[in-house]
Amino acid sequence: MNETEMLKISHYSKTYGEGKKAADDVSLTVMSGDIYGFIGHNGAGKSTTIRAVVGVLDFTEGDIFIDGHSVKTEPMACKRVTAYIPDNPDLYENLTGIQYLNFIADVFDIDEQTRQERIKEYADLFEITQALGDLISSYSHGMKQKVAIISALIHNPKLLVLDEPFVGLDPKATFTLKELMRKMCSRGTAVFFSTHVLDVAEKLCNKVAIIKQGRIIDSGTMEEMTEGHSLEEVFLEVENEK
Amino acid sequence: MKSNLLLLRTLLLSTSSRNIYKHTTDKKVKKRIRLGYFGMFCLYAMIIGYSISMCVGYGAYGLLDAIPVMCATVISFLAFLFTFLRTNGYLFNFREYDMLMSLPFEVRTVAGCKFMYMYVKNLPWYLSVSISMLAGYAIFVHPSVFTALLWILLSFLLPIIPMLGAALLGFLIARISTGFQKTNLIQVILSFVIIILSFSLRYIIEALFRDDKVEQTLQSMSEATEKAGRIYLPIRWFQNAIVHTGISDICLLTGLSLMLFVVVFFIVGRSYRNINSSLKNHAASKAYKMSGQKKHSQVQAIAFKEFKRMTGSTVYITNITVGELLATLLGIVVLIVGFDKIVATITNGAPLDAAMLRPAIPFIVYFCIGMMSSCACSPSLEGKNYWIVQSLPIRKKTLYQGKMLFNMYLTVPFMAISTICICIGAKASALELLLDLILGLLLCAFSTAWGCVCGIRHMRLDWTNEVEVIKQGAATAIYMLPNMFVVMGLVVLMVFLGTKMNHTLLTLIFIVITFVLAALSYLRVMALAKKEE
Repeated sequence: MNETEMLKISHYSKTYGEGKKAADDVSLTVMSGDIYGFIGHNGAGKSTTIRAVVGVLDFTEGDIFIDGHSVKTEPMACKRVTAYIPDNPDLYENLTGIQYLNFIADVFDIDEQTRQERIKEYADLFEITQALGDLISSYSHGMKQKVAIISALIHNPKLLVLDEPFVGLDPKATFTLKELMRKMCSRGTAVFFSTHVLDVAEKLCNKVAIIKQGRIIDSGTMEEMTEGHSLEEVFLEVENEK
Repeated sequence: MKSNLLLLRTLLLSTSSRNIYKHTTDKKVKKRIRLGYFGMFCLYAMIIGYSISMCVGYGAYGLLDAIPVMCATVISFLAFLFTFLRTNGYLFNFREYDMLMSLPFEVRTVAGCKFMYMYVKNLPWYLSVSISMLAGYAIFVHPSVFTALLWILLSFLLPIIPMLGAALLGFLIARISTGFQKTNLIQVILSFVIIILSFSLRYIIEALFRDDKVEQTLQSMSEATEKAGRIYLPIRWFQNAIVHTGISDICLLTGLSLMLFVVVFFIVGRSYRNINSSLKNHAASKAYKMSGQKKHSQVQAIAFKEFKRMTGSTVYITNITVGELLATLLGIVVLIVGFDKIVATITNGAPLDAAMLRPAIPFIVYFCIGMMSSCACSPSLEGKNYWIVQSLPIRKKTLYQGKMLFNMYLTVPFMAISTICICIGAKASALELLLDLILGLLLCAFSTAWGCVCGIRHMRLDWTNEVEVIKQGAATAIYMLPNMFVVMGLVVLMVFLGTKMNHTLLTLIFIVITFVLAALSYLRVMALAKKEE
């Protein structure tokens, strides 16, 4: 494995009951500094793949490597450098925002001064500082999403994995997140995220993969994929063809 | 170790009423928490009172050595049942699974902390039994400070082995069911087998039905608990540790508890992710073909929605239908064995014959059927989906009628089967059978409407785990506990009145009373529904 390969999915397959394959021989590589978009229809296998990457979903075929470590055999090493933001964050609703962020900071063993600085920086950026003392159960979907994002950034991950990150975010928070993703990539962090918003993917990503019925049907750099067309046109064309 | 403590502390904090009370500004939530505390206080008072009185009874008849055995038996049974019923939802298939598993915690840490969380949460219940029984024991024995301390310390260990057994059983059920396409169904069936086995323990049945021949009863219960001690060694170790200060018994109880904890979580940890993956993910179904669709009324549509809600959740279905299953099993057993023989076996020499218990048949059936009402938790179970019924053109009255209709669909057939079987087994006349069926039907209606009153008045939508409203909700507790005790009292009352007056007349009187209570409860539901609109 190359030094800059942050995420390598190698022939990963996931089979559910009745032999239906939710992911079928998926292979892709995300290098450090990449913003890699993962697009496909509802039920195409995006979340199944992402959940396997972050160590939530068990799988038997293929392997997934994060920063050179196998998710199967060295899950802890993988999780220490990864941050995951699910599409519908199920946080501890009866904790306050700040209690939850402190829990995550404790998990990653972040010292008090650093956590305070980072929480303040990101909470100010997402304009949620004043609500951090309230119970998460009182938050809107967007506010929960913001807390999930802050919790993901708090330990400066090498790999950021996001499942539909822009759903429920207000326009300003969407802009802030996109800027943050760009900033993190310039520092060498790899970002791998799924989305249905093709405009965002086109403007933000340098690489993209299209998944259909569990199989990667096309992937490459944005320039290679689009060749002067819009990503939407390419997506619809590829979807109809294969 | 550090990550274990961190996770355990966070799990406890995340479900702490104190934390919610401290940070919420919602007055309704604060009021609900205060009511919850009051309910808990009442429950603790009941448990303490019951435990002490049981020990006083034992002590009065010189069965002092049986008190530690009884204490260990009760704690072990409660620990097993509480844990088994909560395995799915707390240990497996819990909501924040994705979030926890994506963090750098060992799989064993997550599973172990979830178990420890259940242990810590239930520990006050076990200790309330233990300390009350210690107090009752102390009245007669005057134990040394060392013995008292030993009693309390060992009480911390007593629940661990049965909890591990229950967790392991839950794990095996989950493991087996994930190998089938109908994971939920297999889980429900296997869970029921364990629950029925637990409920079949002889001493529980004895404890429920005895009301006379105290000395003989206590002697018999003492024998039953002694037997339990012979079968389940930790009970015997606890007794020896307390009565004879047996050092080897103390070491055995401590050593085995800790060793089993390590072994069980080594086994569970290995398949934990695999099981949760299977439980939380379902393959897309085969291509659906559009066929003829049927139109239903709003009430029927809601009742069907409730049915699907129940069948979609292992926790919900096992809790709601356990009474129906017990009633049906009881009916079948009575039909095969005969009412006389069953009564003789259960009463075991007490001065109660089958004829005396005959008028109580509808209440015996209702004790099982009415154990839980789906209406007590279904309003809360709407949870975050409440917006669906809120935004649809459905009147609240219709919504609750649909929920009540579902509970009637669920209870009435089982009540009828059980009553018919028991009446045939008891050789009841056609008129007696008819009156028993009418009373049974009205009891089902009362259970439904009263459950709905509790469910609406104590509706809680902001839960994060459905176990919180199905098992631990205020509505469930307020419905279930008084209902259970009142029915037990009614069985005794029916037996007593049955010796004084005509059985048919007695049943008719209760038909009228139950009808009035059911009608009043229904009207209360309608009033509450109107108030909500």
